[in-house]
Amino acid sequence: MLFVKAMQENCLYQYENCPEYARILDEKGFHPKDLQTSQDLERLPFIPTLYFKRHAIFSMPGERLLIKATSSGTSGKMSRMGFNAASLYRGFRMVCRVGKYHKLFSLRPSHYLIFGYEPHSSNKIVFSKTAYGFTYFAPALSRSYALKYTRDGYQVDLEGLKEKLIKYSKGKAPVRTIGFPAYTYFLLKQMKEEGIKVSLPKGSVLTLGGGWKQFYAEEVSKKAFYDLVKEILGIDQEHIFEFFGAVEHPILYTDCRCHHFHVPVYSRVIIRDVDNLQPVEAGKPGLVNLLTPMVDSVPILSIMTDDLGILHKESCGCGVTSPWLEILGRVGIKDIITCAAGAEAVLKE
Amino acid sequence: MILMHGEIISSEMESKYLTGLYEDCIRTLARPGTVTAEKVINACDALYRRVKSGEFDALIMPVLQMSDISYERFADMARLFSKEELEYKCKMELGELTETLKSGIRRKRYPLGILFHIAAGNVDGLPAYSVIEGLLAGNINILKLPAGDNGLSVRLLWELVQCEPDLKDYIYVFDVPSADVGTLKAFARMADGIVVWGGDEAVKAAREMADVTTKIIAWGHKLSFAYVTESVTDAQLEVLARHVCTTNQVLCSSCQGIFVDTEDREVLEEIGRRFFALLQKANREMGRADMGMRGKNTIRLYTDMLEKPAGQTFFSADGVSVIVKEDNELELSYLFRNVWVKALSREQIVPVLKKHKNHLQTCGLLCKDEEREVLEDKLIRAGVVRLTDGNMSRTVAGEAHDGTYPLAEYSRIVEIG
Repeated sequence: MLFVKAMQENCLYQYENCPEYARILDEKGFHPKDLQTSQDLERLPFIPTLYFKRHAIFSMPGERLLIKATSSGTSGKMSRMGFNAASLYRGFRMVCRVGKYHKLFSLRPSHYLIFGYEPHSSNKIVFSKTAYGFTYFAPALSRSYALKYTRDGYQVDLEGLKEKLIKYSKGKAPVRTIGFPAYTYFLLKQMKEEGIKVSLPKGSVLTLGGGWKQFYAEEVSKKAFYDLVKEILGIDQEHIFEFFGAVEHPILYTDCRCHHFHVPVYSRVIIRDVDNLQPVEAGKPGLVNLLTPMVDSVPILSIMTDDLGILHKESCGCGVTSPWLEILGRVGIKDIITCAAGAEAVLKE
Repeated sequence: MILMHGEIISSEMESKYLTGLYEDCIRTLARPGTVTAEKVINACDALYRRVKSGEFDALIMPVLQMSDISYERFADMARLFSKEELEYKCKMELGELTETLKSGIRRKRYPLGILFHIAAGNVDGLPAYSVIEGLLAGNINILKLPAGDNGLSVRLLWELVQCEPDLKDYIYVFDVPSADVGTLKAFARMADGIVVWGGDEAVKAAREMADVTTKIIAWGHKLSFAYVTESVTDAQLEVLARHVCTTNQVLCSSCQGIFVDTEDREVLEEIGRRFFALLQKANREMGRADMGMRGKNTIRLYTDMLEKPAGQTFFSADGVSVIVKEDNELELSYLFRNVWVKALSREQIVPVLKKHKNHLQTCGLLCKDEEREVLEDKLIRAGVVRLTDGNMSRTVAGEAHDGTYPLAEYSRIVEIG
């Protein structure tokens, strides 16, 4: 009930401060006061991330937004989001709690290998910020990036990371990696081909974030990936963590020891039918609708992602009782190969 | 995987084989030709029979699935490799040349020599098919596979060489990535003609790679649409609806939308409503499209509706939709059974469509017989190269491709005397 109450409060705030949001609610015949029970969450009009990609809408003047962020924009278009101090503080406390629960904090100084973008003033992609933030979970001895900022823009430097891995495996300080599963996988595969195997110091952790979407062409199962990590880096499954989140739903999902994304207390998930957008029962695939009352500055209390997923309510071996979200992948990734689509691109010029 | 002299070799060895390629081609060109259309046709026919029996289904199915093409349509296309159809194709496209032009002057058709094929990753441009067309005209063929090729083309061409070993020096398949411009340029320099499949970007890249004198044969991306008059019957629209579901609108010849010969919004909406009902019916009968594509379109339609665009009427259910729009521009649909409907009176056909000249392909013309001639004429003047009924992606042997004959493009006429 606390969640519903917080949602109602947030909804009312958005309704009063964001005219575009109010218009959408009015047109759908929904008023924030209608949010009384958890069933009402299903009726709350959601806004697709696509809408945020087409329109920048805020519920606060720009000067109150301390951080401006964009999504990683895999399909070319990006959402523009902004976060105010209160939202950021709530986010910070959330990260601390989640990190503590998963025992991700450590006082032992560590080397960080980041399979993502080196922060730079030109880069507002949210992932680089979260990855950088993550390097405070344990004191950082060093930070190395797969995507280095050079005069010619970002350059991939997996070779550099490989050398670092070999070097650090001979030392005592633990190594922490964070980043896109795809880059991590490509490096490990390359090392395997070259016959390089290391054993990283005790306490080393491999963390993944940014989704598995780049894997569609590679068709790697998580199991095969974990086996490869063990073989090449000597890190056990228990020390592999995966994060999930989106700039339009900045809630930290962390996988449990059974590698399931349990829905955190800050979030709710509704899976909707791909044809009629009605909620579907647990265990059935559909579009992933994410809800959270954590952010004031943008009306993202109920967003529709571009992902297909399943909400599982069966019990999990880790003991956590909240349902877990399985992401099946992005919708409509096939369209790139159609030939009619290619002609259109030119017509639009 | 690469294919050279009839052998499949791992991609890692590519650079080793690339060095001698030009000399190999020159040696083959210098000796009297051993490849005849007849040999190619017989080999294709033998292979076609094996494909038809289902022997290659395990390789073919993933490609079809990836491109959202029905097996039914694939079978229709595979038939084009049969002896009967290929013989007809050669007869239509290469034709009979008048042997003597004037007393003492002979005239004969010869291959261009070396063709470099840059293939695309969809079924419409199945890489192996492009090579077979090159072979029929008697050329040596160097094929660059599209990214993500699953080995089907290499396998089919390898099988072809097994059927007819004389083809082995006429087929080279490489796995060179598009980013390896150096190697691609080397292929382009060797070639007498570059056959490029894909978008305008690919065509542009090919032009940049080639010498000014190299012939470019571009099979670019196209857009197709239906044109209907107020007299259109439900039976006609139903064929169109089934076509939309069979091809999922992903082919060059797939219907993206319907232009209606009217200026009356009510007529437009009524045809939109009628077509939507038939589209739903076809969708139910033929099995729904891929879940992810349906989801993507449902989100797009929901987002469009939140934006309240002026002058648009949405009909949507079960993952299919018809959007009646106010403008008259030719555009790509949302694909996967989502069709737009726009007004375009017959007087406007040429003024509105002409600017799309080289992107126009098929028009499914649905009207009364007595209207047909005048509408056909206008559509052709606008630049359309194929006029069909509602079954817009039908494949017929010997039919021209984007307004021209591939085999004629791949050969030259030599006059002697």
